[in-house]
Amino acid sequence: MALFEARNIHKRFGSRVVLENISLSFEAGQVSGIMGPNGAGKSTCFHVLTGQHKPDRGEVTFDGQRISGLPPQRIARMGVSRSFQLMNLFDDTVVIENVMLALPAFRARRLHAMAAVFSDRVLIDQALAVLDQVGLAGRAWDAAASLSYGDRRALEIAVALAAEPRILFLDEPTSGLGIEATRRLAQLVKRLRDRYTIVMIEHDMRFLFELADRISVIHWGQVIAEGPPAQLADNKWVRRSTLAEATHA
Amino acid sequence: MSAMLDVSNLSKIYTRGRFDRTPTFRLDADFRIEQPAIVGMMGPNGSGKTTLFELITGSNSPTNGTVEVAGRDIHRVRTDERDRLAIHYHQSYQVRHFRSLRPNALMERAGSQYPLVHLFDEPQFNTQDGYIGFMLDFFRRLRSEGRLVFLCVHPNERFHLEILEEICERFIFVNKGVVTALPDYAGLLGFEPARAYLGNLLTERAAVEDAA
Repeated sequence: MALFEARNIHKRFGSRVVLENISLSFEAGQVSGIMGPNGAGKSTCFHVLTGQHKPDRGEVTFDGQRISGLPPQRIARMGVSRSFQLMNLFDDTVVIENVMLALPAFRARRLHAMAAVFSDRVLIDQALAVLDQVGLAGRAWDAAASLSYGDRRALEIAVALAAEPRILFLDEPTSGLGIEATRRLAQLVKRLRDRYTIVMIEHDMRFLFELADRISVIHWGQVIAEGPPAQLADNKWVRRSTLAEATHA
Repeated sequence: MSAMLDVSNLSKIYTRGRFDRTPTFRLDADFRIEQPAIVGMMGPNGSGKTTLFELITGSNSPTNGTVEVAGRDIHRVRTDERDRLAIHYHQSYQVRHFRSLRPNALMERAGSQYPLVHLFDEPQFNTQDGYIGFMLDFFRRLRSEGRLVFLCVHPNERFHLEILEEICERFIFVNKGVVTALPDYAGLLGFEPARAYLGNLLTERAAVEDAA
């Protein structure tokens, strides 16, 4: 059984079917990709997987336990972390505080004596270790607002990692990034893949084809194709596209 | 056994207004598709393609005639279940605006969990991104799972014809409200109004094939 599974998910908004019978499974230790054109239902699918939306039919299981229908915070505490397409950072604080706020040890203290917590050596070391994973340890005490767009994305991933997840969902991680920042993000994902199970929803096909072990293509609210990148690329129309260069790289 | 789709003596007449019943547009269709298939549909703008799709999915009511999907008259099925019989995808979105004067409680159930007929209305095909391959495989999968697929394309580039030739087993050509069913790609090319409609694309394609 896969670590994370969605079976026969159905979601309607009013008279519109947004997800029609979607089944997906993500294996432990792999990078899985979900891609699709605009309006295909990717984001709704992502929200259903991570608990922001409840499916009308079907179920989502994590490590064999049913999680669909549980509140998102509870799903997060079970080890499912996600990033957001629009970045959720505290800009009026320093970089490390964003990470400290997400540490389970910080949450356990329930905001008692904020100032004391922010100078707690143990928490600082934990947060620095997380920042180190995304290459931001050197920027720990800089203002969060001073980070470049690419570094902000990395910080957002650090915030998701601070919760010590077993599976990390990234929502359109390349959105808004230039070529160089996208390249650096790819390097980061390559470093993280040894430690985490990762699921990325992404419209940048080249990025996904380079990084994912397995890709599911969503269109019209359905999974229209899935498989390892090499298998998906073995198609006359894909060979004719600009994607062909990426898959041969 | 019932046909997958039976469009029987169907007509839709639009008139100038409620009181002036002078017809402004008329669509007539009469065809059956017995088995799962991938059917290409085309015709000039304003010829009635979308009206035909709407009549098949039950989002538009016919003036006369019936549409049966697997033996069920779609216009007698509850409006909230009609998409379990026939579903209309406009580009990437699904469109449905159902109106019915009868309450759903008095209407028939669809008797299906997943649509039997899938109508794709001008999907955005782009040779750059590779999605065409995934879409065509999806159409093939639907057919192999016993579904009927309609693919409406407005061919304005040579690769659109390639797609139609590659994937469609039969065709429906709509021209000025007249619906003609054609058995295969050769039949389509042999049909004079279709040749006239495809015009330059056919000559361009022939030129490329000669050169190859």
